[in-house]
Amino acid sequence: MNGIENPIVFYPAAIAMILCGILTIRFKNIMHSLLAAIAVFFLAGMFFYVLGSEYNAIIQIAIYGVAVPVILGLGIMFTNLKNSYRAGDKNKTPVMKYLIILTCGIFILAIIYLLMTSYVILPDSFSYALPDETNSREVINSFASGIFIRYVWGFELVSIILTIIAAGLTMFKKRGGV
Amino acid sequence: MSEITIYHYLFLGLALFVIGIAGSIISKHVIKVLISIEFILTGVNINFITFASYCDCPKFNGYITALFYMAIGALELAVAIYIFYLMYSKKQSENIEKYGDL
Amino acid sequence: MADIILDNIYLILLLPLWIFLIIMLGRFFSVYVNKAVIWSLTLLSSFLGAFLCGSVLFKFNSGIIPENEIPFLKINDFIINMGIHADKTALIFAFVLFTVSFIVQLFSVSYMREEKKNYRFFALLNLFNFSMAGLLFSPNLFQTYFFWELVSIVSYLLIGFEYGKNEKSNASKKVFIINRIGDTALIAGIILCSYFLYSYSGNASLASLSFADMNVISTILYAYTSTPLFFIICGLFITAAAVKSAQFPFYTWLQDAMEAKLPVSALLHSATMVAAGVFLLIRMIPFFNLAGITLKIIGLIGIVTAVMCSLCASSQNHPKKVLAYSTSAQLGLMFLAIGMLNIKAAVAFFAAHAFIKSLLFLTLPDKEKCWNYWNFILFLLGGLALSGLLISGMAAKEMIYQSLNPVYSVIFCIIAFITAFYITRIALVISHEYGLEKTKPDKTELTSYILLILMNIILYWYLRNHYEYKVAEPFWSALTAWVVVYILYTKNAFWKVPILYPLSYNGFYLDKFYTGTIVKIYNRFTGFLARIETGIFSNYIPLLWCAKLPVKITGWIEENIINKIVKLTAFGLKSLSHIDMKAQSGNIQRYNAYAFIIVTLILSCLIIAYMVMLSYIGG
Repeated sequence: MNGIENPIVFYPAAIAMILCGILTIRFKNIMHSLLAAIAVFFLAGMFFYVLGSEYNAIIQIAIYGVAVPVILGLGIMFTNLKNSYRAGDKNKTPVMKYLIILTCGIFILAIIYLLMTSYVILPDSFSYALPDETNSREVINSFASGIFIRYVWGFELVSIILTIIAAGLTMFKKRGGV
Repeated sequence: MSEITIYHYLFLGLALFVIGIAGSIISKHVIKVLISIEFILTGVNINFITFASYCDCPKFNGYITALFYMAIGALELAVAIYIFYLMYSKKQSENIEKYGDL
Repeated sequence: MADIILDNIYLILLLPLWIFLIIMLGRFFSVYVNKAVIWSLTLLSSFLGAFLCGSVLFKFNSGIIPENEIPFLKINDFIINMGIHADKTALIFAFVLFTVSFIVQLFSVSYMREEKKNYRFFALLNLFNFSMAGLLFSPNLFQTYFFWELVSIVSYLLIGFEYGKNEKSNASKKVFIINRIGDTALIAGIILCSYFLYSYSGNASLASLSFADMNVISTILYAYTSTPLFFIICGLFITAAAVKSAQFPFYTWLQDAMEAKLPVSALLHSATMVAAGVFLLIRMIPFFNLAGITLKIIGLIGIVTAVMCSLCASSQNHPKKVLAYSTSAQLGLMFLAIGMLNIKAAVAFFAAHAFIKSLLFLTLPDKEKCWNYWNFILFLLGGLALSGLLISGMAAKEMIYQSLNPVYSVIFCIIAFITAFYITRIALVISHEYGLEKTKPDKTELTSYILLILMNIILYWYLRNHYEYKVAEPFWSALTAWVVVYILYTKNAFWKVPILYPLSYNGFYLDKFYTGTIVKIYNRFTGFLARIETGIFSNYIPLLWCAKLPVKITGWIEENIINKIVKLTAFGLKSLSHIDMKAQSGNIQRYNAYAFIIVTLILSCLIIAYMVMLSYIGG
């Protein structure tokens, strides 16, 4: 069995990922939920690797697994951890919470229905991309052609936006904020 | 156990997406909301990469889109953290309920 | 170049409307308060209009009529179009209109500087331009009627610009009411004609009275020229034109319009409002051609007006009143030219009169404006041109004179004499009353005068090169008038002719006749009705009781049913707003949640509908 259709890899990782995602929301301490989120990002990177895109997996782990938690940790450090997350808001009714959970259920059901019934989203000549056929070199080639030929303008645009925002943030910082 | 099909991966992405949405709506901590938004993006990325791997073999357009999404998501997080820093220095609270004064 | 302009000829019409909307909405939302922006916008719009018209005119020799029409109103097979029909007459009229309004706006930039709310003035000037241009370029009579009404409404607004002052608002009301007669006549004529064609021609597309089909329509009407219906239609059109152009029985409104500001008067008397009647007559020439008597009536109306109003003008002491009467008289001459089927002369005289009359009005002294040597000299120049001694006025008058029969030509010479007489007299009267002050005129005002004189000279040059005319009797009679007035003035010997003076001073008592008869009859009638009501209905008890019963019933219903409904609705709205207030908490998460719930609902509804549809198809 290939990696992409191997249930022994898939089921434990998927269950761990969903569990960590739920725990991220349910943890009271923000540091714990951050750790759970790191686990989710790493697992997502693993799935990218399983799906055949090593490049995406590396970037996912580098950005979401390392850089983003560092930034978030910095953000958490601003806050006063000792009295953080006071157990206030008890007067708030949890109606909204249950409503949202119910809506999420309906949403999941709706999407599942759509996925199972609509053959439109899958082409007639539906073919699995087997790992034998897609070696990593081919993927890198396609990446190169995608970024530098097909989507070169989008790539440039994203880089320009990134630069502008980075420059804007530093300028804001120098002026002493809004 | 049977073989893993495209649907499994799609459901995984869907689950992450829904967790993200629920977390971004329910949770009160700002950082938690930001993490949940990243969850949403990650779920979408999983869907993109799944479709690219299964249905778009020689081109892999979905990989590149996912790449862009990652870059934009990380950047959005940086900006959001900065805004959070400003708001926190003003309000002295990380509870998102206190930020909403229209 | 020309093709671009011809394709986008509707810009001429839309530019003033855009500028009007920009100014009014911009001020309404207080977006900008810069006056220079408003001035430059208005000037730009009218200048562009003049430029477009002029360039189309120069390239127009091929005779192609560009038409842009869209269906506007549709009842079965009866379609009224809205759009643009630009032929040479309309383009000349529009060119004169935009040129004069450009110059007038240039003048009013300095004239209205101190005025409060002058943005409204400029916006209305633009709307005036738009409505007049729409009238000129209208492809059928229905659109003509639409813009005809718009012109009278905008003139009402402009004459009553200082609505705080009582006499001004009264004057604007009177102008509007008298104009209503013409509007009613026009719509009656249009409906009669349209209905007639719809029932008898067998071609419903003709019933929209498009100007492009005018020849076809007149050939159809040719069989009915002896019927009274045809004469009624023609009479209604002539009445409408006569009211708008201030002709014989209706010329009283133009004297009331003198309450307007100087730039408004200059615009109103020259190229905009009064030109509409002349333009309508020129457009309806194929109709009038069918029966010679209608043309004779038009000519007769024109000459009678010219004589009467010239006589009236020669005894007035208010300069604006003199100019108003002279406007009526000159328009009478245009009517005369149309009656003689001398259209070119009529159009040429219209253009010349527009430039000259706006020059005369702009040079007049006013409360805000003093009378200096520049103004005096320019006024004399304008007077010379108006009496047919100089530049464009001379050429146009001689063009009219050539087509007249002997009786009319004698009267025409007399009119030329009187015209020269009153215009010189009023110049002397003004300089005597207001005195000549040694002040320099404003630069923009001077520019506008010079532009107007330039336009006159250009028109003269054009007429001289393109049409043949010779200097004939009217010129000499006007010259004698100037000499006579000068001699009389030096000897200080103006005397009042016994019978003629009171007649002409009061405008042949026409205004008093209207107030004395029609208004009095109306008052009597309303008084009679009031007496019926107070005398009969209020004293007759069963009638009163009958009137009271429904009131009681409705009172009961109101107390017991409607009040409760209102209270219930108020309560419901209150609770709704309470819920809404809760929802509008400003919490981003809440909004997110609403969005998510709504998206999910829509999605599930769609899916359910899809399933139901599938089961329906499957079953």
